[in-house]
Amino acid sequence: MNDQSQRTLVRSLQEYLRGIAGGLLFSLPLLYTMEVWWAGFIAHPLRLLIYVLATFSLLLGYNRYGGLRRSASPLEVAIDSVEEMGLGLIIAAIFLWLLGRITADMSPDEIAGQIIVEAMTVAIGVSVGTAQLGGGEGDQQTDSGMKSNSSSADPDPTPFLTENNGDFGGQLTIALCGAVLFAANVAPTEEITQIAVESNSWRLVGFALVSMILGAMILFYSNFTGTQRFSKKRGIVNVIYGTVVTYAIALVASAAILWFFGRFDGMSLITCLAQTVVSGLAATLGASAGRLLLQ
Amino acid sequence: MKQLEKNWLEWIVFAISLVLVVSTLGYLVYDGANTGSSPPNFEFQLGQPQPQQNYFVVPVSVTNQGDETAEGVLVEVVLESNGTDQETAEFEIAFLPRQSTREGWVTFRTDPRTVDQMSARVMGFSKP
Repeated sequence: MNDQSQRTLVRSLQEYLRGIAGGLLFSLPLLYTMEVWWAGFIAHPLRLLIYVLATFSLLLGYNRYGGLRRSASPLEVAIDSVEEMGLGLIIAAIFLWLLGRITADMSPDEIAGQIIVEAMTVAIGVSVGTAQLGGGEGDQQTDSGMKSNSSSADPDPTPFLTENNGDFGGQLTIALCGAVLFAANVAPTEEITQIAVESNSWRLVGFALVSMILGAMILFYSNFTGTQRFSKKRGIVNVIYGTVVTYAIALVASAAILWFFGRFDGMSLITCLAQTVVSGLAATLGASAGRLLLQ
Repeated sequence: MKQLEKNWLEWIVFAISLVLVVSTLGYLVYDGANTGSSPPNFEFQLGQPQPQQNYFVVPVSVTNQGDETAEGVLVEVVLESNGTDQETAEFEIAFLPRQSTREGWVTFRTDPRTVDQMSARVMGFSKP
């Protein structure tokens, strides 16, 4: 316990509180969404299981590539992911109870389902919150994977999602996390289906174009904090490549979330596609901002 | 292997989390393996009629014994005497999840205690 290398209690408490704040920041809209409560008891347990496993893989990926301690060993990454998921479950349970979504006369199935569905987004939020919301005081600099560190260590940064980037898997993971976090806030709602059904093909093409333009803007031109290092090598090929890959990730993330919330059940193919494109706008924002904001 | 840098607080949080995560996964696997695909199936429990000013209130609790959730469940309660319907009343339940119970009330002008039989049924519901 007196080992110098150990973190102090205060430090770890701070980290947990930061995680809790982050979890709530990113998932509060979902805790207040009816469709998400319903998903807890409508979704088949196997679908829930897939959702939990997918979220856990995403947490592993995020903790590996974008987490607080980027030097962490695989075991530490796994431990952190389990902790984040546990915190997610606890926070979701407390808030659902506060919101009156969990009552004593409900069946265990219903209570468990609701908590599990909500907890997954909270867990991603906890993960992002722990890594992102911290200030850069003192010894934290040494083990944190903060942007300020990596940019000074990397004098010749390569643009986001370009072919000649060694850390491609890491960037994909971070982008996917951002896309899921953002898409999850809109995809479960009835409104996505309504917009998708009411939009004609031209409007959907517009959705896709606006999404890609937004993605390209955020990644390469907006001068966001952190974009400078991506913008150095902004050849047209890189811009197109990065934008297309980001949009593809966004579409995959929004399709996966829509499928989980049963939005594809019994729908025609074109409606499924339309829904994916509509919620893909939010996912693109998340995917492109992911690299800049989440890391 | 590198020494893990963890203090007792972090170990406690980890232990609790591990229990939660493992039991969540275990529960889902168990539940998934044991959940069939039988359609919603309803069971009723009619409570004691309570006389009000000029009508009677009967509490009804409906349990879905099936493996699927029913949406928009329309419940009808009929008062029967001598083989004919005396009075019917109905109410709607937004969602009735599998293995779950929801409660509602129906009101009658006829005193349910004076009729031969009081029975309940589901008029219809949809798949969510």
